Amino acid sequence: MRPGVSILVALAAASVAADTPRSAYVVIVHPANRASRIDRQFLAEAFLRRATRWPDDTPIRPVDLGPDARARIRFSDEVLSRSVASVRSYWQQRIFSGQGLPPPELPDDESVVAYVLSHPGAIGYVGPGAALNGTKTVEVN
Amino acid sequence: MTRQRGITTSTRLLLAGLAAAVLAQRPASAAELSLVGQLPSLDVHGFISQGFLLTSANDYLAESSRGSFEFSEVGLNFTLPATDRLTLGVQIFSRKLGPLGDYRATFDWYYLDYHWKDWLGVRAGRVKLPFGLYNDVSDIDAARTAVLLPPSIYPAQNRDFLLAQTGVEAYGYTRLGRAGALDYRVYAGTIFLDLKPQPGSPFAVVDLKVPYVVGGRVQWLPIDGLRLGGSLQFLRLDTDLLASSTSGRVALRIPATLWVASAEYTVHDLVLAAEYSRWLVKNESDNPSLFPQSSTTSERAYVLATYRLNPWLQAGTYYSRLVPDVDRRTFPADIQHDFAFTLRFDINRYWLIKAEGHYMRGTAGLSSSLNGNRPLRALTPDWALFALKTTAYF
Repeated sequence: MRPGVSILVALAAASVAADTPRSAYVVIVHPANRASRIDRQFLAEAFLRRATRWPDDTPIRPVDLGPDARARIRFSDEVLSRSVASVRSYWQQRIFSGQGLPPPELPDDESVVAYVLSHPGAIGYVGPGAALNGTKTVEVN
Repeated sequence: MTRQRGITTSTRLLLAGLAAAVLAQRPASAAELSLVGQLPSLDVHGFISQGFLLTSANDYLAESSRGSFEFSEVGLNFTLPATDRLTLGVQIFSRKLGPLGDYRATFDWYYLDYHWKDWLGVRAGRVKLPFGLYNDVSDIDAARTAVLLPPSIYPAQNRDFLLAQTGVEAYGYTRLGRAGALDYRVYAGTIFLDLKPQPGSPFAVVDLKVPYVVGGRVQWLPIDGLRLGGSLQFLRLDTDLLASSTSGRVALRIPATLWVASAEYTVHDLVLAAEYSRWLVKNESDNPSLFPQSSTTSERAYVLATYRLNPWLQAGTYYSRLVPDVDRRTFPADIQHDFAFTLRFDINRYWLIKAEGHYMRGTAGLSSSLNGNRPLRALTPDWALFALKTTAYF
């Protein structure tokens, strides 16, 4: 291959790679959880606490990152179809009308991983580069 | 007889101190009080609001024509998820809104909630009434853009009547496959009301009770962010009145049927909502010569839009329309148009300030007793309201 063509091919490949959407978060569950895929709608219901049990009746324990985390912002946008601020407003309504409490908010990926490992029904999300330490990743349909 | 539970002054001071302490110590999140051993943790949340009302003419909610700071709210709640299925909760609330409220702390809600399945849970206690999109959250300033929710369907002065019932509620959420999901609540109970003097009224209220309130709300969630629903409520108010002039006594039964059709669409930072409602209220008197029988249907509606422009600024607007009697639509006393525009500034995650302007046409939303007992037709038909409110919450 001529050098000019090689450079063009490399540039095109780099361009394709740059355009390929890379998820800003990885959804993780406790290693004992049997799920390997999860429906996006179910995931949204779990984080809004409308769905509270896994199919085997284990309580779902969602856990959030802090409101400024990039993974939280993308997760909220893509899974819940709401901004983080809008989700906070939803939880204000639930809290002060006595209808429920939001998932705990943890400060970083390591804390989320530790929480998921220590709670059998837990589900969380972390940034793509986070050390998963034995938690199980699930694919979102 | 006062039937709503009051709390002593010392308890109020204690609660205020507790609220201040929690706010001071944990400004960054809800306080979670860990108990010893394996006991579940107690979640604590609260809010404190102070508002200001100013009208160009007429007194609205308070003595607003001179400017009024009688617009305060404090709430503190405790939630204990005792097990995976059982939750206990209580909220203490105090407010002052013109002649309503007296800074006395009351139990706003308290419940035991058994969440058996997603499609069926039961709450018992004093539970907020699900009526329309926002009735059960109408106190929660931090959860909305506007200072005042559209007053045609959420009149601030009716809070004691319409906010909560003491009894039981069944609720659930069920998925409908591709058709989305259904969210539903049904309830039955009673409402405990305070007897309050009515200055200027030709009748004194001797007894007042609500033998029943029953109803429900169903919301269909066909796609992300869309809620389409209907609420229906039946209640009856029984009261004994004493005529000030003749000392004659009247036993009055007031059955009421309220319904509202609702639609809300939330997508990212935009919220669009509309509701239409009718309230049918009858007066069944045992002494029609002193208090005539009547039947009145009121019509209430609004459209609303809010948008979050950036993390610290939201804008909102609504048009609200109230016709207290659909058979009488004479301007200005029988109709209230309300055009509102709000800016909400979130100073940080726990503190906000709102500024709101209203242009009002009509006087049907006003109170005669708050305006020197002048008839509504004698009040200024075109007027404006400016509201300012700040809320801290955690």
